[in-house]
Amino acid sequence: MDLHRVRRLAEILVASQLRSGRTSSDPRSFFGRGLVIALADVGAFLAAFGVVQAVLGPLPLTARQLRLAVDTAAPLLPLVAVGVVLVAGVMFELTATTKFSGSDAANWLPITPTEYVAASASAIAYSYSPAVALVLGGVLPVALAAGLAPTYALAAALSALGLVEGAVLVEMVRALTQRTGSLGGGRHGQAALLLRAGLLVLLILMFDLAFNPVFLLGFIQRFSSFEGLTAAVPLFWSTRALSDWVAGDPNLAAAFSVGQVGFVGLLLYTAGALRRRLWVPNPMEVQIVSASAARGHPFLTALGLSPPEAAIVAKDLRGFVRRREMLPTLVVPIVLVVLLVVEGGMIGGIGSVLWVGWVAGFFPLLLAVTSVGQERRAIQSLFAYPITGRTVLRAKATSVLLPSLGGAVAMSLILSVLLSLPIVSLVGFVLASVAVAVVLTFWGLVFAARYSDFQDRPRPQFLRPSAMLAAMGSGMVVLFAILIPATFAFLSPSRVSLGDGLWAAGTAVAAGGLALYWTRTGFDQLFRQLPF
Amino acid sequence: MELPSRPRAEAPPPSGTQGALALEVKGISKSYGAVHALSNVSLQLPAGQIIGLLGPNGAGKSTVMKSVLGLIRPEAGQVRVFGRDVQTDSVATRRLVGYVPESPSLYEYLTGSEYLDFVADMYGLSRDVRAERLAQFLAGFELAGHEHSLISSYSQGMKQKIALITALSHRPRLLVLDEPLNGLDPRSARVTKDLLRTLASRDGVGVLFSTHVLEIAQAICDRVVILHHGEVLASGTFESLRERAGLAGSGLEEVFLSLTGTGDLSDVVEALSY
Repeated sequence: MDLHRVRRLAEILVASQLRSGRTSSDPRSFFGRGLVIALADVGAFLAAFGVVQAVLGPLPLTARQLRLAVDTAAPLLPLVAVGVVLVAGVMFELTATTKFSGSDAANWLPITPTEYVAASASAIAYSYSPAVALVLGGVLPVALAAGLAPTYALAAALSALGLVEGAVLVEMVRALTQRTGSLGGGRHGQAALLLRAGLLVLLILMFDLAFNPVFLLGFIQRFSSFEGLTAAVPLFWSTRALSDWVAGDPNLAAAFSVGQVGFVGLLLYTAGALRRRLWVPNPMEVQIVSASAARGHPFLTALGLSPPEAAIVAKDLRGFVRRREMLPTLVVPIVLVVLLVVEGGMIGGIGSVLWVGWVAGFFPLLLAVTSVGQERRAIQSLFAYPITGRTVLRAKATSVLLPSLGGAVAMSLILSVLLSLPIVSLVGFVLASVAVAVVLTFWGLVFAARYSDFQDRPRPQFLRPSAMLAAMGSGMVVLFAILIPATFAFLSPSRVSLGDGLWAAGTAVAAGGLALYWTRTGFDQLFRQLPF
Repeated sequence: MELPSRPRAEAPPPSGTQGALALEVKGISKSYGAVHALSNVSLQLPAGQIIGLLGPNGAGKSTVMKSVLGLIRPEAGQVRVFGRDVQTDSVATRRLVGYVPESPSLYEYLTGSEYLDFVADMYGLSRDVRAERLAQFLAGFELAGHEHSLISSYSQGMKQKIALITALSHRPRLLVLDEPLNGLDPRSARVTKDLLRTLASRDGVGVLFSTHVLEIAQAICDRVVILHHGEVLASGTFESLRERAGLAGSGLEEVFLSLTGTGDLSDVVEALSY
């Protein structure tokens, strides 16, 4: 492996990732340089350090309590690193279009599959490192106060390794989904496309759960002891190393640490082999024998949409099942529901109601923020047609609301039946789910209209990363401001809880109205001229 | 294989403008940061004429074309299509225009047929009309049989044909074509050139056409406009440009290179040789 080539390619991939916005697309811009991530690392680390240090000072904690906190937290840090990269990677890194799968700028260069995987994994790990820096910065003051600097150093080193491990796993998913994406090649009909979409969803779901440390720990611990589990599963060797270090067994800690390094090396080799064997650069060819093109969209026009609006909605809905890059967006809510089902212990409590309500709002938020950017550069055709921004707004809102409302109503109904909720609570639950779905749809469109990323690049994204963070953060605040009081109101309806219900309704109307206004102005602004 | 049968311009021009200017660009300027993409560019395209927009890479040809569609807003100047301001009356203007961008970005997860159907919806073509018309175009451009494949599996030339069909299918009064022959096979390129000449001379369609293949410009354009560094360097008929350059008997390539100050390239070739 030529490390110089790996480093240069990784630098290019990071720069490609960063140069998405208008300000950062200028190569002279500071925000388009890889250095900005290193500074974000330092900033996140120092900020977390400062906050925890400030909070820790006045607290009357004994040295024993501090040591206990570090001893408990340190073994989990590498798992957090793997989890962050894996979940975020599957969400945001597997969105390469078929076009770039086939003509990735690196494909024709003299780079081996292993070198490519190493470079790509390094770029991914580096891109998501601020999240881990934030956690490490927060733990350091506690570790220093407890006098456990060596434990902290080992945890930090293994967390960095965890970042790389998660990134290599993402590369493995990328290779596997590429192969799955080529299934159906030469076959005819919608069935081949649905089969391909189903296989992709299943594959990503299984991979995400199989290597999701938080899920795996909770699930396997039911059947095995902690010691047995961490020794048997290489994914947990970092955790085991830190546990042994804390328990005063440096030899075992060293052995498991070395083992973890070896395991990451093995994963890297496997990912390279997978890329070599499964990479299919040629776009698949699927013939669709259908008369639908001549039939129009009677269902959509019955909803009151104009022919151009209906055509855009139909196009977007087709894209959901045909575009590999859209599938991670669909997988996330499925993973969340599966987690709820597998973690069956949650059913029966208010937690399950809040969980379903959260999914009902999170899914449309996710779809909405990506709804405009997923047009990519083809959005220029929408600018050239005799339609207005409002036409596109109505179409995009419908594209998000159709699957979201269906899912929200179905999930809340099913859970209401499982929980044997009275009819008043059932109606309240369904209404609350519908309300958060509608409000979060327009909340997401506010960001999509202003901060979408239309660039075609090897590492494309639908929304600028900073806007994605802002949309998710503010969206969650809005969601819970509606959902929590609504849940209290409909689970125990009374004159006392009426206030909660009114508060939830008022918040929904206010936030929804504001979002609708900002969405309209955003789309008007967006369609004034081509954004690239 | 039949050509699309008599694709007469269909979108009605504003009343009282028949035979008038299909396109009028008056003094437009556009900057991208410190880069002046266009400086005070003006041109007039009467209905029924083909204007070739020529210029070196980065001269501003695509920016002019995007301004005509209203895709970008010039900082100064005005663009009118059949008398209508493209900024204030953008939806009505776009009904009159067919556009092929320099690098067509199509929805590759749709089939060719689905994409054309989608575009027909955008222009409000009735079901009967679109079925007949699209069948003619698919046959004329030899895409029949491929229309149910995903666009992602198309070659560059096939994608270009789809882009051309979307520009022509609603029978626009003005065609804005940014290097429309890119990637086309010789037969399809010939079909396109003949079709443009027919649409202009018989149906009064105005055509603004950019290309780097100067023989094509010389063959089909009534007039040419040469852009250089975002400014109009020269405009007129081929003969008038030849006179201006003092190159009687020369081809358009010599005239173009002379006017853009890149006449003698032998030193460059020598320097680049192995």
